Amino acid sequence: MRVSDAPHLDLDTSWMERMGEWGTAAQPGKRGLTLEDIRIGPYGELPEESDNMSGRPRGAAERPEAYRIGGYTVRSKKEIWLDNATFLYEEALQRQWSSATDIPWETIAPLADDIEEAECALCTFFNEVEFVAGDVPARWVANISPDFFEARNVLLAQVQDEARHMDVFRKRALANGGGLTRVTGATSGFIGGIDLSRDFTEMSSRMHVSGEGAVLTMFRMGELVGQNPAEKRMYRLCAQDEARHVAFGIMHLRYLHATAPERHEEIEAYLDEAENLPLAGGTNPAGPQAETSEALAILLGGGKQHYDEGFRILLAIRKRQLKEYMQRVVSAGFGERFENGRSPVPGRIAELS
Amino acid sequence: MTQTSRVKNLTASVAHIDVPPPKLQWMGHSMQWGTRVTKGEHGLRLGDLNVGIYGEIPQHWEDQSRRPRGAADLPGMPPLPYHLRSKHQVWADSAADLYEEAIQHRWIPATDIPWNALSPLPDDVERAVCQVLTELMQAANAELECITYWQEQMSYGYHEVKQLLAVTALTCARHIDAFRKRCLANGGGLGLESRGRMNRAILESRGGWTEAVVYVYVLRGFYIQNQYRFLLAHAHNAAERVIFAHCLADHARHMTYALDHLKYAINQQDGQRAVIQTLLSIGERTMAREMEEPVQRSALAVVFGGGIEGGRQEGMATWHALVRSAIHEYLDACEWLGVKRNMIHRRLNALLPSDEQLKPPARD
Ligand SMILES: [Fe+2]
Ligand SMILES: [Fe+2]
Repeated sequence: MRVSDAPHLDLDTSWMERMGEWGTAAQPGKRGLTLEDIRIGPYGELPEESDNMSGRPRGAAERPEAYRIGGYTVRSKKEIWLDNATFLYEEALQRQWSSATDIPWETIAPLADDIEEAECALCTFFNEVEFVAGDVPARWVANISPDFFEARNVLLAQVQDEARHMDVFRKRALANGGGLTRVTGATSGFIGGIDLSRDFTEMSSRMHVSGEGAVLTMFRMGELVGQNPAEKRMYRLCAQDEARHVAFGIMHLRYLHATAPERHEEIEAYLDEAENLPLAGGTNPAGPQAETSEALAILLGGGKQHYDEGFRILLAIRKRQLKEYMQRVVSAGFGERFENGRSPVPGRIAELS
Repeated sequence: MTQTSRVKNLTASVAHIDVPPPKLQWMGHSMQWGTRVTKGEHGLRLGDLNVGIYGEIPQHWEDQSRRPRGAADLPGMPPLPYHLRSKHQVWADSAADLYEEAIQHRWIPATDIPWNALSPLPDDVERAVCQVLTELMQAANAELECITYWQEQMSYGYHEVKQLLAVTALTCARHIDAFRKRCLANGGGLGLESRGRMNRAILESRGGWTEAVVYVYVLRGFYIQNQYRFLLAHAHNAAERVIFAHCLADHARHMTYALDHLKYAINQQDGQRAVIQTLLSIGERTMAREMEEPVQRSALAVVFGGGIEGGRQEGMATWHALVRSAIHEYLDACEWLGVKRNMIHRRLNALLPSDEQLKPPARD
């Protein structure tokens, strides 16, 4: 080594005078030490507008010479925030599961060909759509200021959840003789689709509220769809995860409703669009497209010979989807649309009654 | 309520609706009827599914839809922006196993860390721990921002990699979560933000995922890995021990994928080795400057030396040992990849400590 190359490396302690607020001692509570427990003092204060472009953790001391490498486009709190982000993130970590070991795969036994094929068609469909909700939040994460990292963390947990959903449905399709069937194209690059949204809240209303909302209702009916304990458990565990994803969307809309009156009409327009697609369109497994609704009817009825009976249960599921959707939108603060005649949903429910 | 009565209840209101006859056009499309994978000793794992056509992983996957590998196609669907459609751009044979392993080894900062084991540390040591973790948080943040940027562009044909990266990004978030909690739970706070040299290099490497992997894992990964290892050895309590042990194990998985992928890319793609060589030549300078940076280096030395006083001699000697270990591991990895580093950047070379620098101070 040339001596001149050796850097001069003394111990520097000047940074000790340039740290974030000092003297914070968060205490663990009943649920351990949660992100909520450390939202204290200045570390718990969220800016309305984030000017953090260097990616520093919220509350760390700024360094004027740090590079502005963030490139964040979502920087205002109302664009991204929800009040229970810490809860949803911690719950997501507590409720992770493994499709390899938490599903009783040994309980799967050969099924009649029509039932097996219907189950596999549904699994293929879920393989196709599950990761919309993985790809799309992933795309947004790096665009959101880390000052709102709690909300980002919920999205990251969702990306992992969806990876596991994709994986569990692939496992099921290959475990009992059927194999994957044909895709539906439900999540192709359609204008107005979840993938192509240019605004975070628009994306969230399309994905979390209408899309995943419909999937959640269906997963909750997994007891009726599943033919064995493995399938029932698979739907139950997925429903648990979807409930968090839907909650993100509802809670974010609720926050936006409370803080951004100037955006109400815009949100109503997103909801109009979603509601005018019958039942959340092709991403709804119980929706109008034949591939999945016919398969579901076979599963619900217990075979082709009971198709009509199965189809009627499917109609009941659709009705439940609409009712649950309404409850969610009401809870987000946009319920007036169901009373003032703006929304076609109450009429659709009446048709099914 | 029994299932039958539940169903009756459900369907009562729709009994009057006519049921359209099914067309069943979706039937008859399985391309491999009769596939029956069974679970093994470790359950039913993602890699177990790669049988017959489902295990055929093509060199190029032109399909820009979300068609899962092995499913039948539906022509005419508008494409999605999947830009990484060649196997050499993303693949590692270990991805499926690493995915399952990551899920099995998941941990929860809120409840798996014995937070009650924290106890007050001397002010200089607490400051140093908090400073070190602040920069490590930013490194993990750059890693996850980089991963999520690329992961969503990867085509469905290589779902194992997408799935592994989904888990990896959450793992990074979990590290940030644990570090932040440690900083805010023991009377301290966060430190000074990072200068951001390598974070910038990582986020600026937008030419391809393979190139980003070179920056995140080969150039900086060993430095991070050694920080975790040395921090584990110098942990002040059980809480820190558990945190760093988990981080070390997680990071080792990320490194395994990275090196596997690079080896694959080099073997499959003409010219890739030379590109990586160029990237390393440029990146070594940035990495050396990151290591020289006084803030993180000094904070580490204070932790290792048990305070400012100990930091000057013993702490710096330990930091030199850390750097030496990181650079040697880096060079070993380059050799394993077949990427020549006969002439590492002089600045990085200058950081390889002399025997004198590695000596702990004599004690009375
Ligand atoms: Fe899902
Ligand atoms: Fe979801």
